[in-house]
Amino acid sequence: MPVHFGYTISKPRAIDIDHNNLRKSDEILREMPELQTCIGCGACTAVCTAGNLTQFNFRKVHTLVRRGEYQGAYEEMNKCMLCGKCRLVCPRGINTRGVVMLIKRKLGDF
Amino acid sequence: MSFYAPFCLPFIIGAVVMFATILWKWGSWLYRLPHADKMRILRGLPTTRTLSAAWEVVRESLLHRRIFRVNPLLGYMHMSLAFGWFLLIAVGWIETVAYLGFRFVPLQGHVFFKYFATGLEHKPVFDFLMDLLLLFVLSGVALAWGKRLYSRAMGMRRTTKHVLGDRIALSALWFIFPARLVAESLTCALYGGGGFLTGSIGAWMAGHIDAGVLIYLESAAWWIYSSCLGLFFVALPFSRYMHIFTEIPLIFLRHYGLRSSEKESAYDHFQIEACSRCGICIDPCQLQSVLQINDVQSVYFLRDRRYHSLRLQTADNCLMCGRCAERCPVGIDLNTLRLNSRDTMRNVPDEKRYDYLQGVDRSSGTGKVGYFAGCMTLLTPRILLAMERIFKASGEEVWWADKEGGVCCGRPLMLSGETDSALKMIQYNTELFRKHGITTLVTSCPICLRVFREEYRLDGIEVLHHSEYLLRLMRSGRLNVTHGAERFTYHDPCELGRGSGIYDEPRAVIEAIGELLEPAETREHALCCGSSVANTAISDGQQLQLARSVAAELDATGASTIVTACPLCKKAIARGTQTEVRDLAEIVAEHLQ
Repeated sequence: MPVHFGYTISKPRAIDIDHNNLRKSDEILREMPELQTCIGCGACTAVCTAGNLTQFNFRKVHTLVRRGEYQGAYEEMNKCMLCGKCRLVCPRGINTRGVVMLIKRKLGDF
Repeated sequence: MSFYAPFCLPFIIGAVVMFATILWKWGSWLYRLPHADKMRILRGLPTTRTLSAAWEVVRESLLHRRIFRVNPLLGYMHMSLAFGWFLLIAVGWIETVAYLGFRFVPLQGHVFFKYFATGLEHKPVFDFLMDLLLLFVLSGVALAWGKRLYSRAMGMRRTTKHVLGDRIALSALWFIFPARLVAESLTCALYGGGGFLTGSIGAWMAGHIDAGVLIYLESAAWWIYSSCLGLFFVALPFSRYMHIFTEIPLIFLRHYGLRSSEKESAYDHFQIEACSRCGICIDPCQLQSVLQINDVQSVYFLRDRRYHSLRLQTADNCLMCGRCAERCPVGIDLNTLRLNSRDTMRNVPDEKRYDYLQGVDRSSGTGKVGYFAGCMTLLTPRILLAMERIFKASGEEVWWADKEGGVCCGRPLMLSGETDSALKMIQYNTELFRKHGITTLVTSCPICLRVFREEYRLDGIEVLHHSEYLLRLMRSGRLNVTHGAERFTYHDPCELGRGSGIYDEPRAVIEAIGELLEPAETREHALCCGSSVANTAISDGQQLQLARSVAAELDATGASTIVTACPLCKKAIARGTQTEVRDLAEIVAEHLQ
C-alpha cells in the first residue's frame, strides 16, 4: 500500500498545434477577434458564479478552444450561467458572454 | 341600373385576393392557437371584455389616440387616413341607401357610386359630405408626402427604411385618393353635380377641356383609380398594411387575456403582423441614437421575423430596455417577442445540464427575511456591506441566501434564449427559499427581482426590491435617516422601472435623505445604462459610449451624486462619469441616525 501524499503525476499536457484542426478556432476568432486580446489574467474565472460551485474555468476552456482542443468544450461551457460578471471585470473588455455562446454554437457537435 | 363597368375589374380582383388572404391568415392563426388560449377566447366572448375591446378598436384603430400622444400632427395624419377612409366607406354606404333604398348593391357599386349614379337626381347634402371627407383624407395624404420630405415636423428624427413591397403598397395608397378626386371631378364635368370640391373642379374642367376629350379622360381616370385600389388591396396582406386588419383581432385577443410568452405561439402572428412599421420605435432606441446601429430596431426585427429572414445577430442586438415598447402605438409586446425568437434560435433542452446544482447551499443565518444579493451585487461588495449595516440597524434577522456564493437567478440565461435550462436554476433557487422557510425575499438586483416575480412560483413569499424594503423600514420607524442638503439624481434601472413598475419607492427613499433632481428623460422614458445583460452583441467600447451618454444626462442635473438601484447600472454608469455613483442602499447606510 503506497503512502498517498496527495500529489499525483500530471499527464503530459503538450498541445501540438500542427496536429490540431484549427478550422473551428479560426472561425471563432474571426467572429470574435477581440478574444485575441485576452491576456489570460483569469479575472473572469475568479469572479465566476459557476466556477465558485464547480471546477468550471472559463479562461482554460476558451484558451484550449483557441488552441484547437475542442473535446468537452461544449459540455464545459454549458456549466456557465451567463450571469455576466466576467464581462464586467475583464480588463480587455472582451464580450465574454458572447464568447460562451459563440463557442457553444460552433462546437455543439464536438 | 347596372353596377358593372370594365374598369371595376382591378378593384374586384384586388378585393377578392385581399379578403381571401386575410381570412386564410386569421383562420390559420386562430386554428393553431394553443387550447388554453382558445378557451380564453370562448370564455371572454360573452363578457363585457368584448365591448371594451370594441371601444378600444374605435379609439386606436380609427382615431389613433396613442399616436396623437407621440405627436399631434403625426396622429392627425394617421387618423385622417384611417378614420377618413372609414367614414368615406360608411357615409358612401349610407349615400347608396339614400339614393336607391334598401336593395342589394355589389361592392363596386358602393365604391364607384359616383360613376354609376350619374342618371339620378343629386342630393347636395351627400355631395358636400363626401367631398368634405375626401378633403379630410387628402389632407392626410398631403401630410404623408410632407413627412417623406421632413419627418422632424412630426416629431420623428428617423423613419423606417421600407422594403420594396412596402414601397409599392405605399405608392398605391398615396395615389388612391388623388385618383379618386380626379375621376369624380371628371364625371362631374360631364354630368354635373358634385360638391364644393369635385363639383368645382368638374365645372372648371368642363369650361376648359373639350367634351370629347373629357369622355376619354373620365374612363382613364376611373381605370387608374380602380387600379390603384386593386394594387393596394393585393399588396395589403403581404405588406405593412396588414396592420389595418390585424390590429383589430389583436385588440380583442388581448382583452381576452392572450399574451405572448417565452415560447413562440400562433398568437405572436397577430402581434407581428399588427406592426405598421411606423418607425416610432426607432427614435427611442439608444443603439440608434448613440451607436448609429440602424438595422436591429423592433420595426426591423418584426419585419425580418415576419418574412422569415431573421438573423441571430439581429435578434441578439437589443438591450431589451423596453423604451420602444413604451412608445409603440399598437402596444406590441416587443421584448417578449424578441425573447421567444431567441428561444427558438438558441434553446437546446439538455436534461443533464446544471446537474451540479446539488448540495451547493452556502446560505447562512436564520430569519424569516431572506436576502438574495444576486451575482451583480456580489460583484459590488459596497452594496452588500450597506445592506448588512441596514439589516443590523433595523434589527432584522436575515437569512443570507448567497453571500458566500450562490446560484444565478436564471434571468440572464432566459434573456439569451436558453429558457429550458434557466428552469433548472429557477427550480433550484425556489427549493432553496422553501427549505429555509422565509416569508419575505429581498433582493438588491432588479434583474433577479423581475424573474422572481414573473417566473418563480413563490406563493407565500413576498418578493421585494430593496428600494421597497428600505422604504417600508423607514415608514414603519425601524430605520431612521438624517435629511441633509445633498443633491441627488436618480437613474431608473430598466428592469426596475419599465420592467417591474417601481418608480416611486426609490424616489421616496432619496427624498428622505436629500434633494432629488430629475434628469431630462426619466421614469417610463429613462435611458438604459447600456450594459444590459440582454445584449450580447455590442462591444465593450459601445457599452462605454452608451454609459457616457446616460451619465452626461444625469450629470446635467447638477447633482453631486448619481443614485441608482441596480448594481449593474451602478457599475455601468460609473465608467462614464467622474461624478460619484452610489446604490440606494449605500446612501441609506451612510445617512443612518
